[in-house]
Amino acid sequence: MSGESFKVLLAITQAFALTMSVAFIVYVIVIVVPFLRREPAPVGDADRFSWHFFVPCRDEQTVIGETVRYLRSTFPAAHVWVVDDDSEDRTARVVRSLWRRDGQYDPFLHLVCRRRPDARTGKGDALNAAYRELNAWSDGSVPRSDVVVVVVDADGRPAPNCLTVCAADHLFGDGTIGAVQLDVRMGNRSTPPPRKSWFGRAFGLKLAQLQDLEFRTAIAAIQTSRGFTGTISMGGNGQFTRLTALDSIAGEDGTPWRGSLLEDFELGVHLLTAGWRTGYTPDSYVAQEGLYSLRRFLVQRTRWGQGTMQCLRYLRRIWDSPHISTFGAAEMMYYLAQPWMQLLGSLLYPIPFLVLLVNTAGDPATMWSWFTDGAWILFAIYGSFGLLPFVMWGPIYQWKCLRSKNILAGFGMGLAYAAYIYTFYITSWRALFRLVRGRNGWSKTRRNTEAATGAKVALDS
Amino acid sequence: MSVASTPTSKSWQFPLRWGVFVVLAAAVALVVAERAYRVFEVQFAGAILKVITSSGVYVAGERETVYFGLSGTDPLGLRMTPECSSAFMLIPLFLVTAVMMWFRPRNTRRLFLSLAISAIAVILVNQLRILAIAGLVHWLGIDRGYYWGHTLLGSLVSVLGGALALVLFVWLGTRGSKGPKNRESAS
Repeated sequence: MSGESFKVLLAITQAFALTMSVAFIVYVIVIVVPFLRREPAPVGDADRFSWHFFVPCRDEQTVIGETVRYLRSTFPAAHVWVVDDDSEDRTARVVRSLWRRDGQYDPFLHLVCRRRPDARTGKGDALNAAYRELNAWSDGSVPRSDVVVVVVDADGRPAPNCLTVCAADHLFGDGTIGAVQLDVRMGNRSTPPPRKSWFGRAFGLKLAQLQDLEFRTAIAAIQTSRGFTGTISMGGNGQFTRLTALDSIAGEDGTPWRGSLLEDFELGVHLLTAGWRTGYTPDSYVAQEGLYSLRRFLVQRTRWGQGTMQCLRYLRRIWDSPHISTFGAAEMMYYLAQPWMQLLGSLLYPIPFLVLLVNTAGDPATMWSWFTDGAWILFAIYGSFGLLPFVMWGPIYQWKCLRSKNILAGFGMGLAYAAYIYTFYITSWRALFRLVRGRNGWSKTRRNTEAATGAKVALDS
Repeated sequence: MSVASTPTSKSWQFPLRWGVFVVLAAAVALVVAERAYRVFEVQFAGAILKVITSSGVYVAGERETVYFGLSGTDPLGLRMTPECSSAFMLIPLFLVTAVMMWFRPRNTRRLFLSLAISAIAVILVNQLRILAIAGLVHWLGIDRGYYWGHTLLGSLVSVLGGALALVLFVWLGTRGSKGPKNRESAS
């Protein structure tokens, strides 16, 4: 390759790298403003609706008992549907023991049992089984538009006010709203893991806190801004959906949830393209367990990245939908492009550094002179652009979520969050390799307690 | 409620096919003719400098270089290298435009407009960068002026200008635009 061609190639890579960085900076600025300005909204009357919690379980004996007790005691008028996805542990037995209490059956607790070969095929299939059971159980006394299905993880703890918040006039009180996503928090953000070493405890706790930061700031800001584009997406925990909305996308085989690894996002796409509006509220939350283990965290994010890659197939559907604006479709496309842009970025961003390395090896004295004469400013600028969009969430988290004025601690959290985010460059590549090799199985993320007790865990299917 | 997949009507086949093709062809042409584009950029910069300065400007197109301050104490020639050119900053805009045209061909006219305006913004921002260097060289002398103008201010202008161009592109290309059904009912 001639020198001029190399320069052209370098210029092209620089242009793409700069464009992606600038686009991201603009995106962050656009999402942070409405997030910081948002005020709590009025609540509604939860009694207007019939609430049904769906709790998909695959080997969840360590957590399901407490979750069912919590749901039944906190929301006594709500039904709880536990889906046992052919667990290899005592999940079903735990639920049955709770079902028969004081010599009576709890009419609000339901166990949906699935058996292989139809079981353990994915969370979406498990939720679809519960949906069909609910349909079979329902006697029609409550209008289906007033029935709301709430998907909660087996370790999920929806806040006590979540039903009144979701019943508000701007959420399910509005008949055009098909689904609402709650804010997600990590319930163990103040509880260090039971590890022997100081470093292990500190690292595990920090990882859980960073997940809390991520969900309560960056993701919450993204969701808040999606209120303007009309593209609020659904998450896997704290996902509220009106039964008529599920009906409208269930098809003849009764499957509103589909088969990608990101079945929650997929549900949102189907609802939006069917004409439903979706909502998001940080006025209530669902607490879940943050992961303490980096390895499990990387596995989880690989699965999410692969799911996002799989959902790229919905681009045509999104753009063709008469219900999604161009702005909304562009926003969803940007989201779906994220793992691919991370792949591209991981190839493009190191190029200037490689060129620098080669030049330095060729003429170290000149390069040092170039660096000290002012090129360091360039490094400072581009370093800031690479870090600030992530670091800024630390002080925001400290101030807005923890109500603390310790900005220094917030800055430290921000730096840690930047490192946390950069792991996505690894998980995106892992996701791509899994995708290429056709490994689309559902590898359930192990609970923290499963590691502690040595309980049997689900395997990749 | 059902999903209405709106097939592309025949009347829109022309802009779909040709709009995407034209934009992609323009991107390829920009890479192939990048040197000619850089010559255009230095000539444009020379024309602007001639208007706003009186200290002598000369454009050496064959070397993609613009000289200024020729009658003063700090004459300087700026060569437009591929890395300094705005040519390649336009390519991501062209590609995004092509993708958006492909998916929603009814927006072709709007996207052409937003592409044109944001491309002009990118070109003008790069001219502004050259003017900033010229101004700082005039003010601080060659060494310090070029150093601050090229290294610090130039980078900031590129980033802020890029951000401005992107915001313009997204805002003009998507504002007030509903899905196919909504637009049909409005038309």
